[in-house]
Amino acid sequence: MAGVILKAVFKTFGKTTAIKNFSLEIDDGEFVVLVGPSGCGKSTMLRLIAGLETASSGEIYIGDQLVNEVHPRDRDISMVFQNYALYPRMTVYENMSFSLRMRKIPKAEIERIVRQTADLLRIGQLLDRKPGQLSGGQRQRVALGRSIVRNPQVFLFDEPLSNLDAKLRIAMRAELLLLHQRLKTTIIYVTHDQLEAMTMGNRIVVMKDGLIQQVDAPDAVYDQPLNRFVAGFIGSPTMNFIDCRVVSEKGDLYATTPGIRLKIPESHARHAEKYIDQEAILGIRPEHLTVSTNNRHLDAADRFKAVVRVIENAGSEKLVHIRNENDTLVARLERHIRLKTEETVDFTARMDSAHLFDKQTEHTIF
Amino acid sequence: MTPYGQKSNRVKWIGAPVKYVLFTVMMLTWAFPVIWVILTSFKARTDIFTLPPRIFFNPTVEHYIEAFVRSSDIARGTLNSILVATATTVLTLLVAVPAGYAFSRVTFRFRNQLSFFALMTQMAPPIGLIIPYFFILSRTGMLDSYTGLIAIHMTLTVPFCIWLMITYFQDLPVSLEESAAIDGASPFAAFFRVVLPSTWGGVGVTAIFAFIESWNEFLYAVVLTGSRTKTVPVAIFSFLTTEESLWGPFTATGVTIMAPVIVVALFAQRQMIKGMTLGATKG
Amino acid sequence: MSKKADPKKVRYEVQWERFGYAMISPSMIFLILVATLPLVSLLIMSFFRIDLTYPLDNGWVGFENYLEMAKDERFWYSIKLTAIYTISTVFLQVAVGLALAMAFFRGFRGQGVMRVSVLLPMILAPVVVGLAWRTLILTPEYGILDYVSILLGFGSKPWLVAPTWAMISVIIIHTWQWTPFAFLVFLASLNAMPQEPLEAALLDTRSAWQRFRYIILPMLQPAIIIVVIFRTMIALRAFAAIFSATGGGPGTATEILNLYAYRVSFNSLDLGYGAALGTVLLLITVGISLFFFRMRRSSTG
Repeated sequence: MAGVILKAVFKTFGKTTAIKNFSLEIDDGEFVVLVGPSGCGKSTMLRLIAGLETASSGEIYIGDQLVNEVHPRDRDISMVFQNYALYPRMTVYENMSFSLRMRKIPKAEIERIVRQTADLLRIGQLLDRKPGQLSGGQRQRVALGRSIVRNPQVFLFDEPLSNLDAKLRIAMRAELLLLHQRLKTTIIYVTHDQLEAMTMGNRIVVMKDGLIQQVDAPDAVYDQPLNRFVAGFIGSPTMNFIDCRVVSEKGDLYATTPGIRLKIPESHARHAEKYIDQEAILGIRPEHLTVSTNNRHLDAADRFKAVVRVIENAGSEKLVHIRNENDTLVARLERHIRLKTEETVDFTARMDSAHLFDKQTEHTIF
Repeated sequence: MTPYGQKSNRVKWIGAPVKYVLFTVMMLTWAFPVIWVILTSFKARTDIFTLPPRIFFNPTVEHYIEAFVRSSDIARGTLNSILVATATTVLTLLVAVPAGYAFSRVTFRFRNQLSFFALMTQMAPPIGLIIPYFFILSRTGMLDSYTGLIAIHMTLTVPFCIWLMITYFQDLPVSLEESAAIDGASPFAAFFRVVLPSTWGGVGVTAIFAFIESWNEFLYAVVLTGSRTKTVPVAIFSFLTTEESLWGPFTATGVTIMAPVIVVALFAQRQMIKGMTLGATKG
Repeated sequence: MSKKADPKKVRYEVQWERFGYAMISPSMIFLILVATLPLVSLLIMSFFRIDLTYPLDNGWVGFENYLEMAKDERFWYSIKLTAIYTISTVFLQVAVGLALAMAFFRGFRGQGVMRVSVLLPMILAPVVVGLAWRTLILTPEYGILDYVSILLGFGSKPWLVAPTWAMISVIIIHTWQWTPFAFLVFLASLNAMPQEPLEAALLDTRSAWQRFRYIILPMLQPAIIIVVIFRTMIALRAFAAIFSATGGGPGTATEILNLYAYRVSFNSLDLGYGAALGTVLLLITVGISLFFFRMRRSSTG
């Protein structure tokens, strides 16, 4: 097993640059997820690590070997593709043993490894089938099995779950995590699904336009996003962004819009000071908006009034679309709260969990 | 049901009979000449020239016997045709399948220029090719040789088959070969063990087209072949000279030429039509 | 570094490029030998006098063959016939193919039977097709078409013996053989068309004609261009069916450029002049295909 080190990796295709200055150290045994919208370069990065493409500049190490010029088969990695890439005319057994046969491993040894892996993945009874006779979930397992048999130093996963239906996807997520706990092999996992990234990775690498936006543990990415893009990309429903103005009154700072006036907590205020009388973007996650419980402090500094426009009942919770002046926000409320559309309601924002972003650079202010 | 909703009922009610009449006319237009050749080949000499033409008659195989037994040309021509078409098909596949694969998958320098070159070769007018061929082969004493005919038939089949195979290979996901490479297979191993086994259908259709092209070919054969290598499309002319018109043996030979093609078409019509229209619909 | 010295340890992309050359070279070498070189020879031959019936005068003549061609009325007539033949057959194939495709697309039963019957003409030997038309179909009285013509009161026609009728006949034969291609391509594109615009069109248009003209025809345009390209190239290669049906006659009535070049080269054995005619045909073909490539590129963007 080995870690992976990426140093200032660039990749250009003709005039477009797919990867810009990508540096990252992945520890041995870590489960790292590259996540971002399509075209962000995450799959390209994975292919560079696999050796299917060659970096334009920069260095890629697997273990302590510089692998830029090394052929994929000699990198001691294995890869699971989005479409599984199972060899259609081979049986499951032949698929799983292919890499071992290519490496001239003795037959008996191959047999032992394949059976063992098949048992691990509970596909022992499928070994004589062809990929065309398997369900989506079974194909997924065979693809996994094919990559496990070689006992590589690093597993590369390219959106392996996105061809599965929602239920199966959730089950496979847990199963992959169990597998990782058991094998303890380094995994680099690419997905466009932020929820998948949050639930699976030890660390998440958020990418956009070929650039790393943030590298952190899931909670840190969620709670302390480095910029507006990460804040909006991670979390569902997405964070509410409100164009506001920072004003100072009697020593306190407020984020204000024509209809909203929210006090910036003292703990955050010093970060916002240099934005006084300037535009900024206020970010509040839907779960940080609640219906105010009593009317005693109508002018309280963390409240605002809004009109209920749409109520989405998600069973365990309610997603309420509300409107204040020109701003539309989404609040995630508990299911027992009863609201009517077009009703004007008093909402409370948990400002200690809110964020403020620079309007030009979109960097996080707090 | 139909997107036309209620209106469709009315349209269908009036349209359907008209459609079926049109359908029958269309089928007859295209199928009839073929059927008529087949029927005529089994008619006795006296049944061929009758007015009105006879659809029911006592079938006879006398024309087949005459064509194959009395005239050695046809029997020999058929064997020559089988030999030339088979050799053309095999050799074509040997060069065109790898080339089609490389064009569909590998980005090498001059790829676009080379594929354009292959395409332009296909456009070359046959008459422009046969004149130098005839001249060169006559100078080298290679007229009436199998080699010359097979080579020039391959100028027809190779570009087309490269182009057809490209479309079949493009249907396979690239990740198959990438996966094979990571698994430790060389490109050749990946090609023979993973790609080719998944494309046998396409190779089969390509082979059918190559065979038919060579089997039917006339211009090159009529110029380049003589008594030894004459193929059956050339030999068939012997029944229709200015002096006499032997419809019987002619149609019997015609059926011989058409038979393998018709049989193949019955079994592989769907795949053949797909192959023919593939490039056109894919754009 | 040391890695580069070992030929087995090359990058994936490099390995693939080498593999590509290995896979491509047999076919390219083959095509250069058996197609490109002969075409170059054709060009060279066109500057020689190569008359096999009278070889004494053979030799370099420069542009003489081409100068002779410019004055050769039979050549200009064959060009005219080639143009008529190509344009009319391509037009008829597109028009008939489009009409039939419109009639039969969308859930029509019997497509399996139809498929075989429309596939057959395209894959049958043109020689057999030409000869069958000449004998079984167009022979006065006993030919089926002539018989039907008499039955319907139009009388027997000089299908292959009168110049104009002979030209019409070979155009009919070609159209008969190749309309199925246009029909199948149009049918496939119609079936592959997204249904939504057609359904929306039902609301936006008043008549079936408007729907065809403003919705379906623009969507079919790429297919029509492709069909025109393919069919033009094939029409320019036409030989066997005409040769077997009329032999280019009566006289020179159906002698398109292909047949003229053939007769000059292999009946009169004047290969030099034949090569010059072949070169002109080659240039016409290349010119038209380049024009089509441009057109297609500009239409697909």
